Amino acid sequence: MQILAHITFGLYLVLVLGGGMVATGSRSIVRAFAGLLVTLVGVAGLYFLMDAPFIALMQILIYIGAVSVIIFMAVMLTMASRGEGYETRLKTPQKRILSFLAGGIMAILLAGMVAKYPLASGTTPRNIPVEELGQALLGPYSFVFELISVILFVAMVGAMIAVYERRK
Amino acid sequence: MSMLSIYQWVAIAMFGIGLFGVMVRRSLVGMLIGVELMLNGAGLSIMAAAQFTETAGALAQLSTLLVMGLAAAETTLVLAIVLIVDKRFGHVESENVSLLRG
Repeated sequence: MQILAHITFGLYLVLVLGGGMVATGSRSIVRAFAGLLVTLVGVAGLYFLMDAPFIALMQILIYIGAVSVIIFMAVMLTMASRGEGYETRLKTPQKRILSFLAGGIMAILLAGMVAKYPLASGTTPRNIPVEELGQALLGPYSFVFELISVILFVAMVGAMIAVYERRK
Repeated sequence: MSMLSIYQWVAIAMFGIGLFGVMVRRSLVGMLIGVELMLNGAGLSIMAAAQFTETAGALAQLSTLLVMGLAAAETTLVLAIVLIVDKRFGHVESENVSLLRG
């Protein structure tokens, strides 16, 4: 069972990192989008592996279901009609190296902190039943629950107002 | 090397890749894809911290859910901004969007 978990983890790791590479490296925006989808599936798998099936399903529902559709809409409404699915001009090599350094240095710093201050951690993930999550949402964290719905509502209405055009 | 550290490193790798994507892309949609990668890395990190340590588990799982909700709201707004930029400038490249007139 242990070996099986390691193999699954490796598979998801390949999905996450490979998808991330495609998402940032590909010149075609649609291919980059497909890479992002692969990454999101990999992260959902990692959530399953961490014994959090509810969050994994939410990841599939919210990210792979909703957010990706919005990104695809953005591609469709802005780039597809002009046949511009590609980044026609890349940034100069100097800027690309600087971008790589920005991401790399940040990641190395954070990874160093994680390595320097290891937390005591178990080897098997805890199982938190969905009932407990529901109780927490309706009990101590009900304000957060309300707040996130208000934020979503305001974002949706704001987006609609922003792109609304009065008919002349 | 604990399980928590391994998951944290995966999350940090996602964050780094996403930051690189935000920096290196010209188009706003490409930058949005990078931001999604960064947010997902953050969610993964919170989740790993919840599942492998003795913290309040429900709190951390709900935090991950909150990150997802914020990502959804942010993506909606970015879609609106991308549409406006496209309508006004005729393209969605970040470097040429420099007009501040209303």
